[in-house]
Amino acid sequence: MTSNVLQRIASGDASAVRECLDEYGALVWSLARRLSRTPSDAEDATQEIFLDIWRSASRFDAAQGSPKVFIAMIARRRLIDRLRKATAEPPMDPEEVLEGIAWPESASLAETASEAEQAVRALAELKPDQREVLELGLLHGLSQSEIAARLGMPLGSVKSFMRRGLIKVREYLNIDAEGVAARS
Amino acid sequence: MSAKGPRTQPPEEFIDLLIKQVTEGLLPDEALKLDELDAATAIACREELERSVAAVTVAGTAADAVALPMPLRLRLEQQATVYFSSPVQQPPGRPAEQPALGAGAMVDRRPNLSVPLADRLTRSVADTGSRRAAAARPARNTGPLGWWAAAACLLLALFAWFRPVAAPTAADLRTRLLDEPNVIKVRLDATQDPAAAGVHGDVVWDPRAQRGYLHFEGLPRNDPGAEQYQIWIFDADRDARYPIDGGLFNVASRDEDVVVPIHVLVPVHVAKAFAVTIEKAGGVVVSTRDHVVAIGQAG
Repeated sequence: MTSNVLQRIASGDASAVRECLDEYGALVWSLARRLSRTPSDAEDATQEIFLDIWRSASRFDAAQGSPKVFIAMIARRRLIDRLRKATAEPPMDPEEVLEGIAWPESASLAETASEAEQAVRALAELKPDQREVLELGLLHGLSQSEIAARLGMPLGSVKSFMRRGLIKVREYLNIDAEGVAARS
Repeated sequence: MSAKGPRTQPPEEFIDLLIKQVTEGLLPDEALKLDELDAATAIACREELERSVAAVTVAGTAADAVALPMPLRLRLEQQATVYFSSPVQQPPGRPAEQPALGAGAMVDRRPNLSVPLADRLTRSVADTGSRRAAAARPARNTGPLGWWAAAACLLLALFAWFRPVAAPTAADLRTRLLDEPNVIKVRLDATQDPAAAGVHGDVVWDPRAQRGYLHFEGLPRNDPGAEQYQIWIFDADRDARYPIDGGLFNVASRDEDVVVPIHVLVPVHVAKAFAVTIEKAGGVVVSTRDHVVAIGQAG
């Protein structure tokens, strides 16, 4: 049903905009807040992201994944681009970076984003320090160098943890895709 | 633009560069290095990696997502109204622009997401091997160790590919690009801006590969902490008020012969003009065009 929102937007149906904002506004805004340097930046980024979503909606293919992950991909690419262009300052609210991420039960994500469900399962298999590296890098916008400094860890270890963690997630996503294919 | 020493690239470095590109962005020299390794492979792998990262992101924000503030939501609705009533909006049935996912997803190079990453890595590397070493490698099946299998293949291909020679500079790569078919070359002319006095240069742009290089002489030195040069590409298929950002660069000396790569994050359909502006450090999303130092019309 949610994929219809993107399909309608792709066909130029402006009436789907509000539904899209209802469905994905919180996801985009939460990401923008985490990966922007100031509240003003987060608002500008959110506007750019939704413009990107209107333009890219026709690329969404439900067979390839959930709309939430598609939206998150669009949002992250825009936010990373903005971070890259910005000066080297810590992301907004550095104290928030110290907070742990509240990971939901994987089953609770199954309906809205099966890939996210698999990601939670993959992360559960990681060692705590590997998981922390991914949290700081992917959810708090710290660079690998910043992670190394914060955790007192060699940069090479940060890269290695990041690589292994994403490979683990990738394996789970692949398993999920194969499972979907097997069931269909 | 930057000369580097002898290359001995393990596959981990290639993958690490891709991960860095997806998680925090690359510095210009890192982007150049990734491009040198194999732009096609990087493009093919990037979207798959982004999907994994996005899946973690969705999971990590699910428990504490924050609703859009109402003023922002209203602005978004107004923005959408303008967008959907604009004549430059993509008409239904036409492949959409891919501003967020499009840097590596041009029509002729878009990765097939139905093919697993490990397979694509293997196939792409095999293609590279066949191009460069006349030794095609078959695709592998993906399994729990698929990525490592692909990495092993990548290692073999990279060893075959890389020779212990100095990395090409941006100027070298520009020269090579000139030999590619369908590449356009555009002369850049100085404007009346005081900073543009004596400036001349050109752009080499490959529409298929979506990459190119600016070549300049006479640009004055800039203070990177205060302002930077920013490249813009005007796409015939887009609103001329919003040219595509082609990246930032600095000039160390007016005497410097500057060659800089153009990095676009959205696909350029028909490049009709190129421009260079002076902007605040870090660049801008939309230029006020107060300081346009050079401009060139294609065709």
